[in-house]
Amino acid sequence: MDKYLILIFGIYAGYTYIYTLNEFVITKLQYLMKEIRSDQFVFHERLNATFLEELFEGDTIYAETVFEDFLRDLPAYWEKVQTSYQHKNLTLLGTNIHTCKTLFGYVGFTDLQELCQEFENKCAIHTAEELQADFAALVRKKQEAQHIIENEYNRLKRYNEGA
Amino acid sequence: MKTTCIIVEDIQIAADFLKKFCEKSGLVDVKGHFLNVPDALAFLDEHKPDLIFLDVEMPGANGFQLLDSLTYSPKIILTTSKTEYAFDAFQYNVNDYLKKPFTYKRFLESIHKVQGLPAPGTGPTATPAPPPASDIDFLFIKADDKLVRIKKDDILFMESMRDYVKFVTPGKTYITYSTLKNMEEKLGGPSFIKVHRSYIININKIDDIRGNTIYVQGNAIPVGKGHKEELAARLNIQ
Repeated sequence: MDKYLILIFGIYAGYTYIYTLNEFVITKLQYLMKEIRSDQFVFHERLNATFLEELFEGDTIYAETVFEDFLRDLPAYWEKVQTSYQHKNLTLLGTNIHTCKTLFGYVGFTDLQELCQEFENKCAIHTAEELQADFAALVRKKQEAQHIIENEYNRLKRYNEGA
Repeated sequence: MKTTCIIVEDIQIAADFLKKFCEKSGLVDVKGHFLNVPDALAFLDEHKPDLIFLDVEMPGANGFQLLDSLTYSPKIILTTSKTEYAFDAFQYNVNDYLKKPFTYKRFLESIHKVQGLPAPGTGPTATPAPPPASDIDFLFIKADDKLVRIKKDDILFMESMRDYVKFVTPGKTYITYSTLKNMEEKLGGPSFIKVHRSYIININKIDDIRGNTIYVQGNAIPVGKGHKEELAARLNIQ
């Protein structure tokens, strides 16, 4: 059992959520079945697909544009986050995280939005030293998210080229 | 005639969505997009659009500062990703409040509201309303972009915030886009009573009543003149 868990963890190293074997199999099967049943574009399982489907209303061309814009805009916004963190300007840090939180929402990262909101709230009551661990976790999750969105953007591009 | 508007928004993706939605609706004509309050105010000095889509948190001055500087009274739709601003929005009498990111459906509801049109889907072909749910012991409300299940018994009271209703439970407060009247119909049952035009309380949660004020777990709730008699009858007060 442990071996399976380690294997799954290895495969899903980029994921923050560690699946149990049952959860992993069920989630993966649901995802694959959805893809097999339909030729519609299926968003990555880490993204809030229900919301994205409602947001884009099946317009995958526009989804591709938004994912592209996200990848274009995020680095500049994140640089501001890093700078304000380095300068220990927590008010500015909170504001910059707030902007990133909104961006994550447009690509369906609902859980990351919530994490940003928590961090934003903490900026108002904690010191930079107290926020070190939270900030490191946020940086890690942002990198994972960016990687997923890069892949999703490429998938959308391929899907739209073939459509 | 189309409603003219400007967008005051520092996040490009959010502004692009709004422009797209405005265009798609055919109801709104976007006259400009501004990344900050001073640029927007400079435009507003010379032009008077009917509507402003206004972000709250922007670099420099925030959306409320723009509202303080306005020299006329356009319709205002606040667009923000923080629900905490709902109360300020209520105080500033804004016409609606859109939590980012929002869908086209939600956008359209907002535009219809601003234009005084019936809500989308409420025409003659609309689906008939579901039967009253007063016999169900819970309700779902939309808060923080999800449907939250609240047990009716857990509700201490509800407070009207113009187009929003604040639900107060022992552990948490929720703000949802609705009206008190709507919630009054939705709740039904003997436990709830309107005690003021802005308050509905759960009578099982009343701690005590002092003069024209009801106390519910530390919250003071005013009793309106027109509601005293019914309240007394419901509580069997001689």
